[in-house]
Amino acid sequence: MAQLIMTVDDSASMREMVRATLQSAGYEVIEAIDGQEALEYARENTCDLVIADVNMPRMDGITLVSELRALPHYRLTPLLLLTTESSQEKKLEGKRAGATGWIVKPFNPERLLATMARVL
Amino acid sequence: MSSHKRHAAADRDRDRDRDRDRGSDGELGPHGAVPPTLPHFAHITRYWDRVHRRFAAKLLPGEYYVTTAGEQIVTVLGSCVSACVRDRRLGIGGMNHFMLPLAASKGASSWGTAVSAATRYGSEAMERLINDILKLGGRRESLEFKLVGGGKVLAGIAIDIGVRNIEFVRKYVADEGFSVAGQDLGDIYPRKVHYSPDTGKLRVQKLTAVRNKTLFERERHYLEVLDSETVGNDIELF
Repeated sequence: MAQLIMTVDDSASMREMVRATLQSAGYEVIEAIDGQEALEYARENTCDLVIADVNMPRMDGITLVSELRALPHYRLTPLLLLTTESSQEKKLEGKRAGATGWIVKPFNPERLLATMARVL
Repeated sequence: MSSHKRHAAADRDRDRDRDRDRGSDGELGPHGAVPPTLPHFAHITRYWDRVHRRFAAKLLPGEYYVTTAGEQIVTVLGSCVSACVRDRRLGIGGMNHFMLPLAASKGASSWGTAVSAATRYGSEAMERLINDILKLGGRRESLEFKLVGGGKVLAGIAIDIGVRNIEFVRKYVADEGFSVAGQDLGDIYPRKVHYSPDTGKLRVQKLTAVRNKTLFERERHYLEVLDSETVGNDIELF
């Protein structure tokens, strides 16, 4: 069975790019438009990996990572942040919240897939 | 300082001198200092525009700027495009200045147009601008978009890169669910653009006679730099 990846971004263009990349590699994809929607889904469902934007309305990606890590069924799930932010302070916040990795946009599809394969 | 940075700085100084000679800006403003801005905009050239009696920020290709202080944003566009975006409720906003890399060879083919290097680069240019406005208190539902540029001005390049930039920026804005409140796109002329995020006013002068080749040299250089870079490489696992 294909692995299920949740992609979280408030930008429809970005969700489309990530979905196209993941589906081309055979993953199943579920999309959420912000951290709040992602968290609501995650409370009831598991997935194999989460790729989340940082700057989003309602709930940002770093808060989402902390909230997911507090759920027993997301304690070990790889959580990648995909963002335009590249400052060390922000990265450190992400790391402290429990993120698995940090990817700066614009992303490179091959490298994104290679990184996922490493952490899955 | 790297030689690249030194060139950019020399470019800016030259611009500033030329603008001053033409009387469009000059001495520091009435209070002697430019308004505060976000730290990542420290490199953007800003000056007191004495004709319009307000501060102005001048963008080079690849740069963007967001202001909450009633500044004007000024740039000269050839085949590049600018999105002028503001929160119409708060009167804050900004402008970018970009083009898509040509880079047909750069990891584009196997992923289709939705994830081509060009699209990823353009989306990032748009997203940075929009994110900064949202971080400063803007709301998606109050955002107003105006689009400008994309002239067919560069000779000697087979494909019309202006049209390509226009198609991208229009599609991006539509895909994100925004509408376009105003536009001045295409044609064969370079444009000098003044945008005021506080009022939303966009003033465009078509440059029918370009006095020097700086604009074209800059766009060519920008395109060469874009095409020599691999889009997207920065990944860190914790």
